Amino acid sequence: MSSISELYDVTWEEMRDKLRKWREENYRNSEQIVDVGEELINEHASKLGDDIWIIYEQVMIAALDCSRDDLAWSCLQELKRQFPDSHRVKRLAGMRLEALERYEDANKLYDSILQDDPTNTAARKRKISILRAQGKSSEAIRELNEYLEQFVGDQEAWHELSELYINEHDYAKAAFCLEELMMTNPHNHLYCEQYAEVKYTQGGLENLELARKYFAQALKLNNRNMRALFGLYMSASHIAASPKVSAKVKKDNVKYAAWAASQISRAYQMAGRGKKENKCSVKAVEEMLESMQITMS
Amino acid sequence: MLCHTLVGKHTKMSEVELSCLAYAKMYLHASQFPRCSVNGLLLSSSPAGGTICITDCVPLLHSHLSLAPITQLALTQVDVWCSQTQQRIVGYYQANACVSDSSPTPCALKIAEKIFEQCNNAVLLMIDGEKMFPGCRAPPIVMYERKDARWALKDKHTIMLRQWEETCSIVNQLFSSGDQALLVDFDSHLDDITKDWTNQKLNAKIMELVSPANGNV
Repeated sequence: MSSISELYDVTWEEMRDKLRKWREENYRNSEQIVDVGEELINEHASKLGDDIWIIYEQVMIAALDCSRDDLAWSCLQELKRQFPDSHRVKRLAGMRLEALERYEDANKLYDSILQDDPTNTAARKRKISILRAQGKSSEAIRELNEYLEQFVGDQEAWHELSELYINEHDYAKAAFCLEELMMTNPHNHLYCEQYAEVKYTQGGLENLELARKYFAQALKLNNRNMRALFGLYMSASHIAASPKVSAKVKKDNVKYAAWAASQISRAYQMAGRGKKENKCSVKAVEEMLESMQITMS
Repeated sequence: MLCHTLVGKHTKMSEVELSCLAYAKMYLHASQFPRCSVNGLLLSSSPAGGTICITDCVPLLHSHLSLAPITQLALTQVDVWCSQTQQRIVGYYQANACVSDSSPTPCALKIAEKIFEQCNNAVLLMIDGEKMFPGCRAPPIVMYERKDARWALKDKHTIMLRQWEETCSIVNQLFSSGDQALLVDFDSHLDDITKDWTNQKLNAKIMELVSPANGNV
């Protein structure tokens, strides 16, 4: 079994830098992290300096994701030895218990952290994650709402809450969370596009118009967001086809839909160039656009 | 006596056959996104009537399953593709993120209803995550069919997976060769439209592995 460095012809420094990149950009490519991290730890630990501790943490979490309890355990031992009273390490021990589905033990650990330090957000969030893992959505929602009353600026929490509401089909509340996120992150095209999807799902003419506006906004922020482009196309088409709209609104929306359709066509034609394998998807889109044009006119 | 014969006629269960190709891709889809709920459509290239043969599937989403726009878009596109390729949408599958709960969600029931409107022996298939481990003897699936205006559990004996052992072995081969990474679902296609949600490449690989099992050289 060849090593990562042999397989990919990379140096240990490159492996270390890759791990840092994945850490900073919050990637959850756990199998890769385990492959690269395990080799780095086993072969090059002495060269890593103080970086090794954060690498142990990163690899441990990835190992839990991949059911590699052996690796997670050894990383945890190293961290416990170096940082014997650390809450951060205690939280990692809790995560390991979660991975083993020992939720009661994990909760006890997190509660002890919170007794020591009631402002420890990481421990609170782990407790909420446990509720989620156990399928206790309404409790998770309740706890998360309480958490956000105290920590109103926590973006990750707002997004988690919006996901929970979407799963529970509580679209109005999901929209509220996304509105918070859009306010604090006005340049994030993904929040705009998700908000538009929620509005579209809620349905009704007013929501469709809002959806169209936010799909358009998402496109302004990122003109390659295909979901936003399709969303714009579909919401404009539905508005144009509605018997309740004025002639002017219908005309405007026919225009928006036509514009979106031409952009979609163009994008698919560029994508289809030289690639035989996606001919099917290209053909399907073309026919869909054609048939929807007929229903609109 | 007459009543007895009539009852006998009306209680014939409709059988469902699940092909290796459809099963393999569903399994791969659920495995590719272990922390998400995933869903997809079940297709048939056989004519309507009699046994339902699920010959293929299209993996759809791994995020926001209950939001409408992308689901509607995917359904429309798959519809179009089916008419281009003489296939029909005959069912829907879903694997829940929460492994311990394999019951159909409201969203699953809604989409299955839509499919039922066009196909009166449509099936709803839930993947049972708890049974997805190497060496598991039983297929990790639970099927529902429309009966008396609700979705009822289908009798396990009416579900046929031909050559189950070979199917398992094929799935294992896909994982060991790394080909399981070839699977593209509709969500991934929208992230990069050069990716093919009809999975022609993966289909070819799977069919290559299937042929020896059938004795076709």
